[in-house]
Amino acid sequence: MVEKIRSPAELEKLRSEIIARRDPKKRIITACASTGCSALGARKVIESLKEEVKKRGLVGQVGVKEDEVEVKETGCLGFCELGPRVIVYPEEVPYFRVKPEDTPEIVSETVVKGKIVERLLYADPTTGEKARKLEDIPFYKHQLRLLLKNNALIDPKKVEDYIALGGYGALSKVLFQMAPEQVIEEIKKSNLRGRGGGGFPTGRKWETTRNAPGEPKYVLVNCDEGDPGAFMDRALMEGNPHSVLEGLMIGSYAMGANEGFIYVREEYPLTVENITTAIKQAEDCGLLGGNIMGSGFNFRVNVHRGAGAFVSGESSALMAAIEGEVGEPRPKYIHMAVKGLWEKPSCLNNVETWANVPLIILNGAGWFRDMGTKNSSGTKIFSLVGKVNNTGLVEVLMGITLRDLIFKIGGGIRGGKRFKAVQTGGPSGGFIPEKYLDLHIDFDELTKVGSMMGSGGVIVMDEDTCIVDVTRYYVDFLSKESCGKCVPCREGLRQILNIFKRICSGLGEEGDFENLEDLSELLKEASLCALGTTATNPVVTSLTHFRGEYEAHIREKRCPAKVCRALVAYYIQPEKCQACMKCSRSCPVDAIIGDKDTIHVIDQEKCIRCGACYEECQFNAIEKISPPTPPPPRRGIKVIRKKKRE
Amino acid sequence: MVREISLKIDGKEIKAREGMTILQAAKAKGIEIPTLCYDEQLKPYGACRLCTVEIVKEGRRRMVVSCVYPAEEGLEVEANNEKVRKIRRLILELLLPLLPPPSDTVTGPIETLAEKYGVKKSRFKAELTNCTLCGHCVRYCTEVKKANAICFIGRGTERQIAFVPELAPNHCLACRECFSLCPTSKMVDSVEGIRGVCSLSIPISEKIKGK
Amino acid sequence: MTEEQRSILSRIQKDANLSKTEILLKGLELLSEYYSLGLDTPPLSLELKRLEGEAVHHAEALKRIRRREDALKEMIRELHDIDEIVNRCGGPNALIQILLDIQKQFGWISKLAVMWISKRLGVPFSSIYQIATFYKVFSLTPKGRHRVRACLGTACHIRGGPRVMERIERLLGIGDGDVTPEGKFGLERVNCLGCCALGPVMVVNDDYYGNVKPTEVGKILSKYG
Repeated sequence: MVEKIRSPAELEKLRSEIIARRDPKKRIITACASTGCSALGARKVIESLKEEVKKRGLVGQVGVKEDEVEVKETGCLGFCELGPRVIVYPEEVPYFRVKPEDTPEIVSETVVKGKIVERLLYADPTTGEKARKLEDIPFYKHQLRLLLKNNALIDPKKVEDYIALGGYGALSKVLFQMAPEQVIEEIKKSNLRGRGGGGFPTGRKWETTRNAPGEPKYVLVNCDEGDPGAFMDRALMEGNPHSVLEGLMIGSYAMGANEGFIYVREEYPLTVENITTAIKQAEDCGLLGGNIMGSGFNFRVNVHRGAGAFVSGESSALMAAIEGEVGEPRPKYIHMAVKGLWEKPSCLNNVETWANVPLIILNGAGWFRDMGTKNSSGTKIFSLVGKVNNTGLVEVLMGITLRDLIFKIGGGIRGGKRFKAVQTGGPSGGFIPEKYLDLHIDFDELTKVGSMMGSGGVIVMDEDTCIVDVTRYYVDFLSKESCGKCVPCREGLRQILNIFKRICSGLGEEGDFENLEDLSELLKEASLCALGTTATNPVVTSLTHFRGEYEAHIREKRCPAKVCRALVAYYIQPEKCQACMKCSRSCPVDAIIGDKDTIHVIDQEKCIRCGACYEECQFNAIEKISPPTPPPPRRGIKVIRKKKRE
Repeated sequence: MVREISLKIDGKEIKAREGMTILQAAKAKGIEIPTLCYDEQLKPYGACRLCTVEIVKEGRRRMVVSCVYPAEEGLEVEANNEKVRKIRRLILELLLPLLPPPSDTVTGPIETLAEKYGVKKSRFKAELTNCTLCGHCVRYCTEVKKANAICFIGRGTERQIAFVPELAPNHCLACRECFSLCPTSKMVDSVEGIRGVCSLSIPISEKIKGK
Repeated sequence: MTEEQRSILSRIQKDANLSKTEILLKGLELLSEYYSLGLDTPPLSLELKRLEGEAVHHAEALKRIRRREDALKEMIRELHDIDEIVNRCGGPNALIQILLDIQKQFGWISKLAVMWISKRLGVPFSSIYQIATFYKVFSLTPKGRHRVRACLGTACHIRGGPRVMERIERLLGIGDGDVTPEGKFGLERVNCLGCCALGPVMVVNDDYYGNVKPTEVGKILSKYG
C-alpha cells in the first residue's frame, strides 16, 4: 500500500482490488495470536503451522502468494480457556486446545484433503456431540457478535483485512456525506450509552463537547480496563484496532477535534503493539493524519501507556496522567466534556463505545436502537468468568436474562455445584443473588438491584465461595488502588478492611454491622471520585442479600462456605484414608503424620489450612469442616486397603 | 467588572462575588464551615471533605465540597443539616485514630473540631501515623516556596508524605514554615537536628510501609 | 591548574556548542580516563563530583562492586541511554512514558535516573518520585533477573490464585515486591493481566502460564537459570 487514498472512490477501488485478489475458496488457517491463547502456547502452534505448510510445499519460500495456503494470525474470539484456537477456511472448521504436535494432522487432513480431525473439535460435555461450526457450540450459538465476529478474520497487523471487510466505509460516508451535527444527531438517535461503566448517553456527551467553548478539542479512548476479571477491551483493541480508530475519527469529526489520545494499560503490551502498528498503517494509507481521504479533515492520535493504577481509568485521573502529572482524580464540578485535558473540551469514551460507532453509521441509528431494551440499545460484551463451565467473552443483546447468560451460554455452574451469586461491574458493582436471575440485563435494571453494568465483568460464584471473603478481597483491592487523597475513601476503606480482617479471623463483633453501614454511607456521599462513591457497593449488597453469612462469621465464628482459613479445619477421615502419602508430601509445614501403612493424621496445631492436602487426596478422604475438629484418632492405626478394582 | 451574585446559605440570603467558592462566600459573611485541608494561600485541595455541604439546585440535592464548588446565582446551600453533620462526625471519627491519644497539653485543630461535633472517641482501630495527609506542607513547599522539597509517595492506604534524605536537602530551604502549617504534632526537627532532615524523612532504600 | 587539567578544560570549552548534557557527559568521559585529576572549576566540578559519587553507590546497588573507573563508565553508558529515551519520547508531558521505558530497559528507576531526568526535563525530583511510587509498575530498587508475576485479579482469586502466589513465595523465600538474595527472581503480585478465562495465571518474564496449579509452580520456576 504505497499510494495514499485521496477520495472515497479510491477507497472503494482499493477494497475491490483486495477482494478480487482473494480467492474465497482459498484455504486459510487462522490461529488466535492474542494474549489469552498465547498464555496457552499459541505462538508455538502458529510457528509449527507455518513450518508444516512450508514443508509440504504449500507456500513459496518468500512471502505468501495469493493462490497458496495462508496461515493467518487473528484476534481473540473470547473462548480463551479452550485455546489455542485454530479455524480452517473456507469450511470454517474450528479446532480447540491445539498443540504443536497436532499441526501435521491439521495440515495433512483438513488443509490438503478437506477432512475433519474429529478429536480437535469441540465436544458438548453432556451429549458428546461435536461442533462442526462455531455457531454449533452453545457458547457461541446464543451470542450476537457484531463487534467481535471480525476478530476471526482479521490479522490486526494488516489494515487490508479490515478494508476488505468494509472497513473505513463509515468514515468515508461521514467525511463526504454528513455534516458534523448530523453525525451527532445519528448517535443521539441510536441511544448508544457509554460502555465503560457509567452508561452515559454518548450522543449527549458528544454534543456537550462540540458546543463547549474552547479550542482545541480532544477525543480520548479509555483502554485502561482496570476491572480485574474484564478483558473485552483487550480483545477488541488487540484483535480489531482499526474499528476503534475509525469510530474515534468519526467522533472527532463530529465534535470538531483534530487530536486524540489512546490510553492503554501497561499490562497489555500486545495491545499497545497492535494499536501502534494500526496507527502507522492507517497513516501510510492516508486514512489517518493530514487530509484524510482527501477530505481536508486532519486527525492525529497518540498512544499513552498506563503504569499500573486502577484509579487512572477515572476520567479526570486519566487526563492528569496524559498531562504528565500523577494520575489522581481531581475534585471537579465541571464535566470533562467542557473542561478536560489542559482545561479544553475533551470527550473520553470506552473502547467498546467507539467500536460501535462505525456500525451505527453504516447500518443506521434505527437499526441500533431497535436492538436491546428500551433504555439500553445494542449489544454488550460481557466477560463471563468464575465458577461457570464456559468462561470467556460473550457478546449479547442487551436484555438477555442473567439466567440465560449464566446457564445457556455459560453452561451452568462447574462441577454441578449450586449457584450462589453473580457479581457485575467489577469492584464498583454489587452481588446479585439467585432471586434476581431473571432480570433482563441493561444499565438501569442492574442499578435497580444495587449493582451496575460497569465495564461488563460478570463473575459467577457458587456454594463454595464465601461472600464475606470476596467482599474483603474487593475492599483490599480498592484500599490499595485508591489514590488515597480524600479521607472518606482512604481512611474509610482502611477501617472497613480492618473490620473484615477481624470478621474473617473469627474476631467479628456485633457492632461491626452498624460500623460497616455507617462507613459505607460516608463513602457514598462524601468521596472525591467515583472509585470512592462506588467502593462500598459490594459491602452494601452483600450485607443486604447475604446477611446470614456475616451473622455466621460474627456470631458463630463459622464460615458456611468453608473458605476463611481461620474458621476452617482439615480432617482426614480414618475410614477413607488409603495411606498413599500424597497429602503428607504436599504439606508445606509437615503437619501430616503417617507412613505407608498407617492412617494419616493432621496435626491441627501445625496445620496452616492451605488446602494443599485436600487438593491432592484421590480418595476424598480429607474433609473441610468448621471447627471444632473431632478428637484425633489414635496414631499408628494400620490402614485397611480397599480391594483393587479388576 | 466582577458580577455580584446572591445565594442562600442555611436560609440566609447573602451576596458574593462571581468566581468565589461557597466556602469563600460563607467565610466573608462570618458563616462557619469546618475545614482541615483548606488554606487561603494554597489552591483548594478538596481532600479532607470536612467542608462538605448539601446544595439544592433545580430541585436536586447533592453533596459537594464547599472549598471547590463555585458560588452560583440562586444556589441553596445547607451547611449544617443533620446529614452534613453526620458526615463531619464520621470524618472526624476516621481522623482521630491517626493521632496520638488525647493529652492535656496538645489540643490541635482536629481535637477541637471533634469536641465541637461531640466526637469523644473513635470506634475505629488506631493507626498513629500522626499525619492526616492534608498536604499543607507539600502544597506550601510547591506552590508558595517553589522549592519542591517534600512530596507525596505511594497511594491508597499506603500514601505518605516524604522528605527523601538522599535528594531533598539540596532543595529544602530549611525555612521551617511548613512546620506551623501542620495540624498535628508531626512536623518537628529530626533528633539529629541536621539541616533540612525532618521527621518526614523516609530514605529511598526504606520500603514504603506495607509494600 | 596543571597543564593536563588546562588542556582537558579547554577541550571541553571548545565544544561549547554542545548541549549542557553533552558537556557533562564529555566531562564524565574524560573524568573516567583521568579521574585522578581534580577539575576545579565550579559549577562543572560540583556536578561532576556529585555524579561521580553517585556512580559508586549505583554500582553497589546493582551488587556489582567495581573499580571507580568502571563504575563511572557504566554510569555514563546508562545516562546516555536515558538521554536517548528522553529524546525519543518528548517533553515533560511524556514523563510517565519516559519512566516506563527506563523501567523496561534497566529494570528499575535508580536515583541516578531520577536526578538525570529531573535535570533534562526541568521537572522537580519530587514529582518524579511521586509518580515512581504511585504506580505499581515502577521499582525503586533493582528487580531480579527473572520477573515473576502472579495474577490476583478477581477471576484468578476465585480460581485459587492466592494458593499459587503462596507456593511461589514459599519456594523463593520472598514476598511481594522482593528480590531473592542473589538477584535471580523478583516477585510481584499484579491485579489483572486480561487472561481471566485462564485463571490462575502466572507470568515469568514474557512467558505466560495459564491454569496453574500450586504443584506446577516448582517446575515452571526451574526452567529459568
